[in-house]
Amino acid sequence: MARSALAQETVFALRETIARLEGKPIPALAAAQAQAVAEGQERTQDRPTRLETGIAALDEALDGGLPLDAITEIRSRGFFDAGSASGFTVGLSVLIKARAPKAENLPLLWISDRMASQEAGAPYLIGMRGFGLGTEPFFQALPNRLDEALWLAEAALASGAFGVTILETRGNPKTFGLTESRRLALRAKAAGRPLLLLRHAAEEEASSAAFRFLTQPAFASQRRLPDGSMLGGSIGPSVFRLTLEKSRNPAPLCLSLEWNPHDRRFNCVDTPRHAVPERQPAAHSGALFPKTFDRPDLAPAPGAVLAFDRPARGRPDGSFERAS
Amino acid sequence: MRLTALDEQAQAIGLKPGQGLAEARAICPHLVVIEEDEAADRRFLEALADWCDRYTPLVALEGSHGLFLDITGSAHLFGGEAALLAEILSRMTALGMAVQGAISSAPGLSSAVARFGESRVIEDSDIEAVLAPLPIAALRVGADVVQALAKVGLKQVGDLLEAPRAPLARRFGAHLLLRLDQATGLDEEAISPRLPVASLSVERRLAEPIQSEEDILTLAAQVAEALKPSLEARAAGGRMFELVLFRVDGKVFRLSAGASRPLRDGARIARLFAERLTGVHDDLDAGFGFEILRINVLRHEPFDHAQGDFDGDDRKQQSLADFIDQVSARLGPECLKTYQMRESHIPERAVVAVDAIQHALGKPQRLPEAAPLDHGHLLQKERPLRLFPHPEPLEAFAVEVPDGPPIRFRWRRLTHQVRRAEGPERLAAEWWVDGENAPTRDYFRLESDSGQRFWVYRQGLYDQVANPRWFMHGIFA
Repeated sequence: MARSALAQETVFALRETIARLEGKPIPALAAAQAQAVAEGQERTQDRPTRLETGIAALDEALDGGLPLDAITEIRSRGFFDAGSASGFTVGLSVLIKARAPKAENLPLLWISDRMASQEAGAPYLIGMRGFGLGTEPFFQALPNRLDEALWLAEAALASGAFGVTILETRGNPKTFGLTESRRLALRAKAAGRPLLLLRHAAEEEASSAAFRFLTQPAFASQRRLPDGSMLGGSIGPSVFRLTLEKSRNPAPLCLSLEWNPHDRRFNCVDTPRHAVPERQPAAHSGALFPKTFDRPDLAPAPGAVLAFDRPARGRPDGSFERAS
Repeated sequence: MRLTALDEQAQAIGLKPGQGLAEARAICPHLVVIEEDEAADRRFLEALADWCDRYTPLVALEGSHGLFLDITGSAHLFGGEAALLAEILSRMTALGMAVQGAISSAPGLSSAVARFGESRVIEDSDIEAVLAPLPIAALRVGADVVQALAKVGLKQVGDLLEAPRAPLARRFGAHLLLRLDQATGLDEEAISPRLPVASLSVERRLAEPIQSEEDILTLAAQVAEALKPSLEARAAGGRMFELVLFRVDGKVFRLSAGASRPLRDGARIARLFAERLTGVHDDLDAGFGFEILRINVLRHEPFDHAQGDFDGDDRKQQSLADFIDQVSARLGPECLKTYQMRESHIPERAVVAVDAIQHALGKPQRLPEAAPLDHGHLLQKERPLRLFPHPEPLEAFAVEVPDGPPIRFRWRRLTHQVRRAEGPERLAAEWWVDGENAPTRDYFRLESDSGQRFWVYRQGLYDQVANPRWFMHGIFA
């Protein structure tokens, strides 16, 4: 009897530790908190920690919404996708600033990598305002080294002065491993502020981010005319193709979201019209000469195999349109 | 090669400055000669001037061998003029230098006595008595004037004091009389201090030198707290602070740190230096410790007494200010930028980056040509999310002439097939900046068949330029 009680206590202690590690509410703590409220004490945590994105499938996969006290990682496969990755990150920031309580007047801090700024361009204030960002000040930090960038992110989270902090890095640097990301995650948790980690040209990697999205470009929607029809050939609101790679759901979620800068919200759009076909096969002609025969031995095919043949694919439809 | 300076032993042998090296070697074969390095001498003198900063903030270099210290109002801190002179001389001697000094009411007189007389404090009543036996060279006039005066039998300053002034001026120039008047104190002479004088300054002298960073910061907080009454008396707060650390062996370190809003609180001032010390950690060699710690206020501004409101907006501002100060002190003020809009339709000129520490808080210092706050007209146009600071050239193929977009283009060694295009948006150059012949830009939004969206422009029009160039200027989301 006593032994089982002891075992149960151990199990509870372990559960509590795991819950604390995972950042879930601990039943015992929650009960204590409820009691404190009942006794008229002020609650320490009166802010919601999740922000609903307004898209049911995404909210469900995100356990109720975008976390406001954790790291959300957004990665792209290469610098050619920098536009969509930055766009989705800025969209999320605008969403947080527009909807999250007590974040509306707080400025945005963008900690950028110098290399990324050269490769993908510097954040452009007018473009970001056009994307839905408010008139509050926008700060950009340009650290020289990665450890400075990490320190900046930590200090920014700890200060609580910023509604959203964006940390932009390139690839998966060795000095930004699990320890550093754990540190940032704890800091974000303690301060109750979100950190968006924008990784260009990055691999999937273990980190302490609560969720990780892979962004890929998708064809933009067309502009909507006042009578409800679409203006053919026009480039309207941006669309992002997202894969939720890391979450509590075992199956990765794929969806295309359209950003509406006027309403500051994402809309789910039907995929096929916006889907980008696979990239064109590399211009590799294979062996240049027919195989020789009637020889003592077969000569090896000239040249090294650089790429395997892909089934020939025609050019995507809609060859070239133009709007006036 | 000639001798430029000699030590006492060499003078005793009979060598003279200006003598040829070969001749000197003939007189004394085992002569030790060191080549003159004027820059190193200068650095040494400047380091000494830094060291003298402990006696007064007004230290000026005098030629290449001397220092002027303006001790107006600071002599009493060291127990009077005589005690001050004795302390300076004994400490400099302890540093291993042969030093002479004089205190008087005129810089010219002090210089003359220090070079040609004995170290002493000269009262105003015996200026002439002290000056009279000194040689003419003590007046800091040229060697030719000294020689010319010697020819007519005027060898000491006393001879000049008695001589009638008008013939002297006629024969030897007004400069001689100016120098004479400066030596007797009849004419003012200004000395130009090396460093600007801080508007406020507090310091602490320590009996026991300190070495550790914690000690420095604790002491800095205490010392900075002492600034508060003076800042309050001026209704001001400091924007730019300087921490001066005097090391025991004479080296002086200066660290400056700025604040984004006027500060008075000692602890917050010390926190600026905490970040700054972390930033320069390796460069600050404590050696055997620091004996004097001083905090200067280099710039101060009116302090706003804002009343706090209930929603805690003030606290948010406070934490933002703290963050900006922290970053600027540790990584330098240029690390953190904020942006201001300007009245311009050229995309790269419409937004300028400014240092956050100067412009983020308080009364916004608006730049000239700053755009009015309502810039709705700019937001109606589609602008890219990321803009290249320098537009990158690209190769455009199959362009619709005259004002069409390219159907294919090559940028960064990748060929992009254009799927949709919008444009052109024609932006004329600003003739008042770029000149009248600056080319017009035609901007296009392009979507490639892999889903990326670009902002490209053609520089120049087809009817003006034979083969206009194309540039990539930004990327859309």
